[in-house]
Amino acid sequence: MKKDIQGFAVSRRALLQTAAGLAGGAILPAGMVVPALAEDHPALGTYPAGSSGSSVFVGISVPRTGTYAAQGEDLIKGYELAIDHLNAGHELMTKISPNIKKGVLGKQVKHGIADSEAKPNTAVQNFSKFISQDKAVVITGSVSSAEAVAMNKTADREKVIYLPGISGSNDTTGKDCVRYSFRECFYAETAARAIVPVLIKNLGKNKKVAFLTPDYTYGHTVRESVENHMKEGGWTTVTNQISPLGTTDFSSYLLNVANSGADVVVNINFGRDAVLSTKQAQQFGILSKMTLTLPYNTPFLAKEVGAENMQGVIAATDYWWTMEDKYPLAKLFNEAFRAKHKSNPEWGACCGYLQLAMWADAVERAKSFYPPDVIKAYEAGAKVQSMVGEVQFRAADHQLIRPVVITRGKKPGSMKNPEDFYEVLDIVEGGPLMQAPDAFGCKLGSYT
Amino acid sequence: MMSTPSSKPGSSGPSIWVRMRWLPDVITLAVLVAAPFILPRFGFVPDTMSRILVLGLFGIGFDLLFGYTGLHSFGQSAFFGTGGFVAAYLLTRMGFPSVVAALVIGMLVAAVVGYIVGLIALRRTGIYFAMITVAIAEVFFFVENSPLAAFTGGENGLPGVPAPIFNFGFKSIAIGSGWTMYGFLAACYLIGIVIARRIVHSPVGHILVAIRDNPLRAAALGHNVHGYKLLVFVIAAAYAGLAGGLLGVMQGYMPPDAFTFDTSGQLVMQTVIGGLGTLFGPLVGAAVWLYLRDFLQDTVGLGASWKLALGVIFVLLVCFLRRGIIGGLKDLIDLSFGRKTVVAEPDEAASGLTAEQEQKAAKAEVIAEAAVAPMPPRHRALDGYSGPILQATGISKRYGGLMANSDIDFTVQHGELRGVIGPNGAGKSTFFKMLTCEIPPTSGKIIFEGHDITGKNVTDVCQLGLTKSYQVNQLFSRLTVRENVTIAVLAELRGKFRLDVLRNAETFPGVSDQVNHTLAMVNLTARADALVSSLAYGEKRRLEIGLALANSPSLLLLDEPLAGMSPRERIETVKLLKSISQGRTMIIIDHDMDALFELAGRITVLQEGRVLVEGTPEEIKSNPKVQEAYLGGVLES
Amino acid sequence: MVNWANLVSQMFNGLVLGALLALISSGLTIIYGTLGVLNLAHGAMFMVGGYAGYVGYSYTESFVAAVLCGSLFVLLAGVVMERVIIRHFYSRPDEDQILVTFGLGICFVEIIRFFFGSLSRSMPSPPWASGITSLGFMFYPTYRLAVVGIVAVALLALYLVLYRTRLGMIVRAGIEDSVMVDSLGINVYRIFMIVFGIGAMAAGFAGIVNLPVAPITPDIGDAILVQTFVVIVIGGVGSFPGAVLGGLIAGEILSITSMINPGYSYAMLFIVMTIVLVARPHGLLGSQGRN
Repeated sequence: MKKDIQGFAVSRRALLQTAAGLAGGAILPAGMVVPALAEDHPALGTYPAGSSGSSVFVGISVPRTGTYAAQGEDLIKGYELAIDHLNAGHELMTKISPNIKKGVLGKQVKHGIADSEAKPNTAVQNFSKFISQDKAVVITGSVSSAEAVAMNKTADREKVIYLPGISGSNDTTGKDCVRYSFRECFYAETAARAIVPVLIKNLGKNKKVAFLTPDYTYGHTVRESVENHMKEGGWTTVTNQISPLGTTDFSSYLLNVANSGADVVVNINFGRDAVLSTKQAQQFGILSKMTLTLPYNTPFLAKEVGAENMQGVIAATDYWWTMEDKYPLAKLFNEAFRAKHKSNPEWGACCGYLQLAMWADAVERAKSFYPPDVIKAYEAGAKVQSMVGEVQFRAADHQLIRPVVITRGKKPGSMKNPEDFYEVLDIVEGGPLMQAPDAFGCKLGSYT
Repeated sequence: MMSTPSSKPGSSGPSIWVRMRWLPDVITLAVLVAAPFILPRFGFVPDTMSRILVLGLFGIGFDLLFGYTGLHSFGQSAFFGTGGFVAAYLLTRMGFPSVVAALVIGMLVAAVVGYIVGLIALRRTGIYFAMITVAIAEVFFFVENSPLAAFTGGENGLPGVPAPIFNFGFKSIAIGSGWTMYGFLAACYLIGIVIARRIVHSPVGHILVAIRDNPLRAAALGHNVHGYKLLVFVIAAAYAGLAGGLLGVMQGYMPPDAFTFDTSGQLVMQTVIGGLGTLFGPLVGAAVWLYLRDFLQDTVGLGASWKLALGVIFVLLVCFLRRGIIGGLKDLIDLSFGRKTVVAEPDEAASGLTAEQEQKAAKAEVIAEAAVAPMPPRHRALDGYSGPILQATGISKRYGGLMANSDIDFTVQHGELRGVIGPNGAGKSTFFKMLTCEIPPTSGKIIFEGHDITGKNVTDVCQLGLTKSYQVNQLFSRLTVRENVTIAVLAELRGKFRLDVLRNAETFPGVSDQVNHTLAMVNLTARADALVSSLAYGEKRRLEIGLALANSPSLLLLDEPLAGMSPRERIETVKLLKSISQGRTMIIIDHDMDALFELAGRITVLQEGRVLVEGTPEEIKSNPKVQEAYLGGVLES
Repeated sequence: MVNWANLVSQMFNGLVLGALLALISSGLTIIYGTLGVLNLAHGAMFMVGGYAGYVGYSYTESFVAAVLCGSLFVLLAGVVMERVIIRHFYSRPDEDQILVTFGLGICFVEIIRFFFGSLSRSMPSPPWASGITSLGFMFYPTYRLAVVGIVAVALLALYLVLYRTRLGMIVRAGIEDSVMVDSLGINVYRIFMIVFGIGAMAAGFAGIVNLPVAPITPDIGDAILVQTFVVIVIGGVGSFPGAVLGGLIAGEILSITSMINPGYSYAMLFIVMTIVLVARPHGLLGSQGRN
């Protein structure tokens, strides 16, 4: 019996493929992939089980407890707004890409949220649960790169697409890149390359630098990236204070910094560590003697640390809401967000929203949920509009080519409203900031 | 907590009993096989079930350590991570071909690390031990995260751990994720639980439970307590290491949070929820934990507050259902089958008879009792030694400025029944403690059967044949009478340490006989299966003596054996002492002059840490110095 | 080549770090010494004190009110905790006590998270202790200097209670032999309740006093708890002077190690703790009495 069905399928497939090939060659616009036919693909990952009904499931795994919980909640807001807009066919989505219509390939989007506690193991657990229980077609979310890398590997093993949320390490699209993952946000290398020239321009040459580095690979790679690029301005490192994650008292490290004679303090800490180290730096008078800079900004840092402490601080970030003055999509996004949450989005929310929007776009272009087709749609390099301008994915390492936003903390007096913490100094074009695709050892795996 | 039914005298042969012994293993197998068909209906997916098995396996070792032996370790994550990362490293970075071999190597490395850590940590007990385990776990986490990041992948962990492929020549089974992985892990778990159950029923298992209950007495009965603790610590580390390796294989990824304190903490919580001391507790606890984690987040919609709900559940369980879910179920089953715990016999003193009536009744009973065969001592004297059985010279003990004992010379001949008396504070108990080597003398020498035992430890001395029955009962209160005596007997038959983790204690040659004989000698055969906590005071005292007697000592010390007894009990005990003194040397401390004068051949009187006088009971009775020491003056006789 | 200015400033900072640890640890050690309970919820008490004080501050904008609020709330919480739960565990084995305090600690953390979320909360330092002071060899935040003073006063108060009042005498006797104290007819349970409250309050007080230095989140108690273990082990479990000495030593270990290799400072604490536990388990000033 099986033979008959196969035989039938082969002949049907041959017929349809020829037809499609003709059609594809003739009328499809650039960037569109030849649509593959759903019935012909063998089961792969959660395909076709996850997309055979009238809805598809998006699995969201972010920290809701633990040190990164605040950033996790911000991501959730972005994701949920995106899902609402997808299901409603909101105009923001259409503006991001005209391919996106109501639903994704006509299907409603359902989702589930699981707490990863910022632990890679729990993230992997959530991943497994989403695919086995809910047949999720895409998994998204992370605040630490450790989570993201763990989920990268799981995605590659399970053949389900994964979209990191916040992940700043070079490794996510470097040595730990996988075929099944696409990163939207900026990362150590682009952050360093973007911020260092701005620093040199604003502060001058031949400065002495003190680093506050969190003790894990993300921290060390950021420091290396910054050190490599600051040599061009004759900047030198006078001390590197390594603190364990979760340090509550930075006084000993800050004292060493204060006694080091540095001009600039580069604070690589993220999350709560960034909040504490910045606050305590102010207590030790470091902020008045040295310039503080954050090569990778933490969402809500300014709110927690206070505007007086952030004034003059130069930081690199992914998105800042005042960009709505220049970018119409940012304005639309902010308005929708404010309508729902009565506050402005931080860059986690923007990242989450954009990831799901771009995924919907890729699926629409692939005309299928079959993972290799969606991946190829991503890799076709189609341009989409975003809250930070026009962006596209780089096929070689699955990293989005997008700008890095450099901000500087405003004086409390010049703030026009309670959330007006930063002025945007520069929006640096992404392409030139990125390393060569294979420079960090990225080897994408197979499609199946 | 013993879960095997103790073999009752006269039970039908070993066949039924052997079948019963394998019953839990068979049931486990059945449950593991049936689970994939039943549990998915409740929302369990293969991945979750695999995870439960890994955590269950991790917990088996922990339960042996904490539930059975009472060592509260909060640092098992160190071994979990070590085993896991060694296996993962071999498989990912070094291209090791065999997954199973890598897992075994990971387990062995974890066991070795456990040995080294145990040497450090087990030097202390109680909360100090707990705190060392916490500190060591933190150090391991730090080392894994930082200095060894090149090997462990730092905070990223080691991805790409392969799953095993079993080649059977004609067919090869590749274990993927999903049900094949479940099958593989279920097999591992079954092996793990079968081994653990054998450990629990082995002599070692019995001794571990005794150590939890009363480590002092376990040592005094001749067991190398430290050695056994180290053994169970290593076993727990091995289980943890294997579980860690399996986690990496299951997920295809070895996470760094295997090393965090949180992992150890969750293990503790899961085991308590499931039930400590049940071996299956961790499995049940993990299932409940993982199920509730998802259930509370999704179905109940608690979102980030799921941990609060779990915390509250945990606290409630610790408060009210201390023995966890399995313990609670066991109680429920016992209740519904009408099995009640044996009620304590009323104390004789409350029976309302006058002292004289009781004495008469006791004497009548004494005549009616059948004679029990004596239990001769096992001779462990030095070859060719023919001197006194005990010779203590110049024994002194100083505590700071206080001289508890000064310069005591004390010699006892074979077969003597020596009494030691003296007013309170004379230093009698201290002297005994030095004889049994519970405390070392400040100066002096003790020769027992030709061996110089000065400064030895209580375990070795017991193995040589010198035991003591304590003034304050030192029993294993959570065990039955029979189990108590078994502990003592095991020490005699096996020596102070033996690695027999896989043989059954009940069928150990000679155990049954010796236990029954000892019980008969102290007249506790009728109460053999009663819990110590349900015994009357007199019965407890008899058991106390029985423990000291069980390993056929050649010299038996008794510290106030008659203390706190009713007249009737006194008579029984004196009769008992007479019977056990046959063929053995005994030294008795007591305040009951009448009894001692009746029993002893010679009496030594101590006062203020020195020997006042020594002689026969008649000599002592009429000695004015003795009367003065006790009464402050000469009494008109 | 030693940077002497840095060394001196680190040693000074170590004292400051140590002072706070000393206060928190003395609370834990008194509770253990008197009740025999190792309170694994002690870190959570620190955290709760911080939050209670924060709430007090947000209504009154007064530092003093915040401190009072924080301390009294935790005193109350400690008393209630002892009365309702811990009391029933005295006759139960040690492991049960550890487990229940462990569970309670988690509950406290999650309750706070439920009400306050995970974003950190902070409080500015009071105006009379803001800014930076020049100490000649270094600049130092004025508030941290104030903290040393405040903690010293608190420790002194604790000392006076322990060594100069009848309550304190009973507590110290109870540390040595609680059975004896009970048989003397003193209501041991009432003493236990008060001691638990005071011990918890020490942590809560430290929590609110530390708020201007470091913003708090619900999880901050975990790290504090582990550091407290280290302190009481070094100083001697059950010994109040031991907690003070141990705290100062721990502070110095953290600071000086950070000069040599900053990444190892916390690990060094645990290494020292293990060495002390193995070589001299009753710590520097502890007695072998209680086990």
